[in-house]
Amino acid sequence: MQYEFDWGMLLRSPYFGWIVEGVLTTFHLALLSWVLALTLGIVIGIFRVTNSRALRVIGTAYVELFRNIPLIVQLFLWLYVAPQLLPTETRLWWNRLDYVPYWTAVIGISFYTASRVAEQIRSAILAIPPGQFKAALSTGLTTTQTYRFVIVPYALRIILPALTSEFLTIFKNTALALTIGVVEITATTRKIEAWSFRGIEAYTVASLTYAATTILVVVFMSWLERRYYIPGLIRREREAA
Amino acid sequence: MPDPIVRVEDVGLRFDKFTALDGVSLSVETGQCIVICGPSGSGKSTLLRCINGLERFQAGEVFVDGVRVRDNTDLPKLRRGIGMVFQHFELYPHMTVLENITLAPIRAKGVPRAQAEKLARDYLERVGIADQADKYPGRLSGGQQQRAAIARALALEPKVMLFDEPTSALDPEMIAEVLYVMRDLARGGMTMLVVTHEMGFAREVADEVIFMDRGRVVERSGVKEFFTAPRADRTKEFLNKILVKF
Repeated sequence: MQYEFDWGMLLRSPYFGWIVEGVLTTFHLALLSWVLALTLGIVIGIFRVTNSRALRVIGTAYVELFRNIPLIVQLFLWLYVAPQLLPTETRLWWNRLDYVPYWTAVIGISFYTASRVAEQIRSAILAIPPGQFKAALSTGLTTTQTYRFVIVPYALRIILPALTSEFLTIFKNTALALTIGVVEITATTRKIEAWSFRGIEAYTVASLTYAATTILVVVFMSWLERRYYIPGLIRREREAA
Repeated sequence: MPDPIVRVEDVGLRFDKFTALDGVSLSVETGQCIVICGPSGSGKSTLLRCINGLERFQAGEVFVDGVRVRDNTDLPKLRRGIGMVFQHFELYPHMTVLENITLAPIRAKGVPRAQAEKLARDYLERVGIADQADKYPGRLSGGQQQRAAIARALALEPKVMLFDEPTSALDPEMIAEVLYVMRDLARGGMTMLVVTHEMGFAREVADEVIFMDRGRVVERSGVKEFFTAPRADRTKEFLNKILVKF
């Protein structure tokens, strides 16, 4: 193979500026989508296990709708189809908005991921002994307080390892946003390649961005798992040995 | 005679085809300690859960401190006046003992945190585990966990305490430490309704014993009478079985 590497080009203008912007876009797209997905996922997950039939139906419909359509299709639906369904005034407002693709990606990715988070929350809640609900209710807490102070914090601790995977997935799924015109790090890489014909250098940047970040996330989450592990209930590996 | 603090009138509850409670009536006066015993499936625990609205009954009426328990009752408010202790403790495992106890006073009753913590430590002192306040329930023995759960219920400063087989999940050595706490409570004048098979406790502490079978109250009598001269045949049969003599 005759290929002269030129890693230095990555630090030259305009490529370096593009990379910084691309990485930052990936980061805040992922973080914003994650915060929304987690919040919405917790609410939908609770809907799926409540005593209220109406809420259960809403929760189930949400999960089945959003987890059964490929994310990339959902992104196209949000970009091309959803605005058509808006009232004219609202549609014009939306179309005049700056960064429409970016906000479309935030909505698409977070709504999709929320359906997955909801299922994990649901399975965690089902794993919590029913006596916990009875105990909390018996002390005079309302149902909402019982979820907020007892059930959800307990459930989140159970599914922390699964949430780690979920965050890694949402982080990598942001790459799909390039299909609707968001210039995140993968799109930036393609642009650099198209301008410079230096594909190896360019894609190395994207790969390293993803890999380095996910490794940092894994380290952070394992710290979080230790911090929030439940003594005597969730087994630590060291205890298991 | 003042109004009883708990009044259960002809309560019936069915799960599908199974009749859990079949016309149960009873009343508890302030300061009384009443033990409910009977074979499993006789409706004892279900009865307790009807009293604080954790279970919906289909027939009859329940009054606690003059408040009628039914669908449109302000259940959180009702439950703040009723402490409940469970067979499997049901402490929240992700909170320290102190947090377990202060949660409801702070969130349900609006007690300031500092005051709630002081109250919690007082009750922990009273159940003899003041030194365990900052530990997680998983680090405590079964007996300590149940005493923490009793402290959690007491921190509501309830008018009546319901105990649902509080020693059934405990090792023999730990049963005594929990029963001592309950005995002291009863002697301190707490109104208590206790589902248990600890006949020693019933004999020493209870004012009256209720025997239930198949969702009905078979017999209710004073302690002495219950153990020495039970009226119903079913009660005699039950006592013969559980008071085994070798």
